[in-house]
Amino acid sequence: MTTLVTDNCQRCRFTECVTACPVSAFHAGEDMLFINPDVCVDCGACIPKCPVQAIYEDLDLPDELEEWIDINERRAKKLPIITKKESAYEGAEDRKKTLGF
Amino acid sequence: MNKPADLNVETFHGGCPHDCPDTCSMVFTVKDKKLISVTGNPDHPMTQGGLCVKLKDYEQRHYHPDRLLYPMKRTGPKGTKQFERITWDEALDTITTKWKKIIAEDGPQAIMPNSYLGHQGLVHGLNGGDAFFNRMGATVTERTFCGEGSCTAWLMTVGPTAGVDPESFIHSKYIVIWACNSASTNLHHWAIVKKAQAKGAKIVVIDSYASKTAKQSDWHIAPKPGTDGALAMAMMQVIIEENLQDQDYIDNYTEGFTELAERAKTRTPEWAEKITGIPAEDIRKLAREYATSQPSAIRIGVALERTYGGSQAIRAVTCLPALIGAWRHVGGGAIQFPVWEHPYKFDVMCRPDLIPEGTQVVNNLQLGRVLLGEMDLKTPIKSMMVWNTNPLTQAPETDKIAKGLEREDLFTIVADHFITDTAAYADIILPAAMGAEMEDMILSWGHLYLTYNEKCIEAPGEAISNMEIFRRLAKLMGYEEENFKWSDHECLENFVDWDASTCEGIDLDYLREHGYARLKDFGDKDVRARHAKGEFATETGKCHFMVKGAKNFVAGPFRQMYEGFQPGEDLDSLPDYVESRETPTTNPELAAKFPLNIISPKSHGFLNSCYANDTRKIKGQGEQSILLNKLDAETRDIKDGSVIKVFNGRGSFKGVAKISEDVNAGIVVATLGYWRQLNDGTVNCTSFAEFGDMGHSPTFSDNLVNVGLAL
Repeated sequence: MTTLVTDNCQRCRFTECVTACPVSAFHAGEDMLFINPDVCVDCGACIPKCPVQAIYEDLDLPDELEEWIDINERRAKKLPIITKKESAYEGAEDRKKTLGF
Repeated sequence: MNKPADLNVETFHGGCPHDCPDTCSMVFTVKDKKLISVTGNPDHPMTQGGLCVKLKDYEQRHYHPDRLLYPMKRTGPKGTKQFERITWDEALDTITTKWKKIIAEDGPQAIMPNSYLGHQGLVHGLNGGDAFFNRMGATVTERTFCGEGSCTAWLMTVGPTAGVDPESFIHSKYIVIWACNSASTNLHHWAIVKKAQAKGAKIVVIDSYASKTAKQSDWHIAPKPGTDGALAMAMMQVIIEENLQDQDYIDNYTEGFTELAERAKTRTPEWAEKITGIPAEDIRKLAREYATSQPSAIRIGVALERTYGGSQAIRAVTCLPALIGAWRHVGGGAIQFPVWEHPYKFDVMCRPDLIPEGTQVVNNLQLGRVLLGEMDLKTPIKSMMVWNTNPLTQAPETDKIAKGLEREDLFTIVADHFITDTAAYADIILPAAMGAEMEDMILSWGHLYLTYNEKCIEAPGEAISNMEIFRRLAKLMGYEEENFKWSDHECLENFVDWDASTCEGIDLDYLREHGYARLKDFGDKDVRARHAKGEFATETGKCHFMVKGAKNFVAGPFRQMYEGFQPGEDLDSLPDYVESRETPTTNPELAAKFPLNIISPKSHGFLNSCYANDTRKIKGQGEQSILLNKLDAETRDIKDGSVIKVFNGRGSFKGVAKISEDVNAGIVVATLGYWRQLNDGTVNCTSFAEFGDMGHSPTFSDNLVNVGLAL
């Protein structure tokens, strides 16, 4: 049971989601965020905050994104915690449009 | 509250009705008379807009395809879930005709109520039916599933105080979470604790296994189950031996220090190491850090009481903040259940004045024994009404309960949302309304706010609120007291002490508009130090390390406010370590057959047995698993993923083995809530219905079992 960040976050990194997390489960990579599954309480508060629908509850994860479960677990534990909104990745708005949002 | 642009959409304030300390303020959104979303109230200082995994799609629970919509009567053998729809008239007529017959033949005490906190509303919750059954003269039922021994221990020591404000933990420098998996069961407090941790506070979690919370602590201390009292006593010994106590605070605001110090003298860390398995040097370090890092705060978890000596352990823990003067500071002290300072009028809710003198008392932990005639009752039980609880998963000695419910001469009525394990045995099932379908205020045992819940949709089918059930029953039984005619709204006007200083400026209109209100005279979380100058809620105003002549009791709200037949046995005047009944050390004979201690915490994805019938929630939570250490697995040829059976002389259940370092050898962990009708037994099939040392607490963690490959 966890919630995780998937590839739509790459080079978007809007970081609005971290403000909704009650337990500081987000970790900041250079071009995207990851969720630590040991910390996430699966409340889902972050999901509607993402403008590019990068965040999924694992129960709703499309099959082709399955690999992101392991990636979140592995990467989150090596990266610093992020709890405050930061500026989006350079070119995030363009990428958002490319993704169809 | 607000009316968004879409004229068909309206929002209302709700309160989470579940058995959880957080009592979240919520926002219900209704479109075309349908509940379309439930979210956390962003304005609420604790909820802060977030709910938990259980409640995040609460609107869907209201429209669950298995909701009970109509009254039903049984048409097949008990437990086989064969029912047919009947009218409310037939249901209520059947019930009251049968009850009148029982009352005429056996007396009203042959009927017992059975409820708990399946709904935490002041109107529809724990005490909603008490006035009705007290008026009837039915057997009084104690309900001591969860925290009642803790209440007794807390009340004896510091009186009915809310303790440290849970929001003030943000100022704490040293936080001890003692026997609570906050990340799963006290989420909004956990969020505050995590913020304090980010600010530099040290978080210590004391728990017998590595819970989700323990794994995120700065220091996880894992005493053997049921030995927390020894750990707390040894902390006292170190504090006093090393002169770390706050003598000025002790001299002015406590009683019994000399006697406590004498008691603690022999409870050395070396003594406690042998009992708890915690190295003596770690105990010294904990005591020193706790005493010298102010403000320090302790979250007393519900699980601490769940062994025979659990409540004495809680007394010991409750003494610690006064010993070191932690109460002097904002964010210093301890928290148990802040409900003690909420302005609820339990006597008006329960009407204990209507109880006939000499009325017998049973306890819902011992339901199996009660129904099977093992309790030597003056009047044996012939009928039981169950609402807001599901004893067949939640109460110990479950197999006995099932056998009792099979009795052909037992007339059972269950009001619920679904055909629960217990409802499956009912003669009559009544469909109950759910959260958004009824007006109420939700009590809190975890924060300092009043919480309002507005009725914003109609209940489906013919479901009605619990209080409406009792209003209709009272009318047919001929009970004329005014309270049986109060609407839900009028109940709220009468059940809350609106004249209390805590309610200054707050009324139902205010609550409807805002959803919640902070109790007025509690001060700000950033300045409030409730017991900086003593002022405890005891008769003397002091913290009682020692209580002379103390007798055991169950707090009123958990026994219909009845004072008759309290347990009453003499209690030790001082806190101490009291051994469990079932551990390899204290009961080697039993441990020769059943060598493992089981702990049964709440499931992260269920709320007790609520949601454990929901496919999505079950998928999220996963099937029943049993955590065990590889040393215990290897000797039994158990592999990770093996289907195993947990068993003892009381019963058994099955689950999937998860071999894990999260548990020490000698302990197994299986979470609670799974339904018996969907699984092969449940954790409470193995648990014991004997009480703990105080307040008739449960002893769910004082339980020896064995495990083996399921055949």
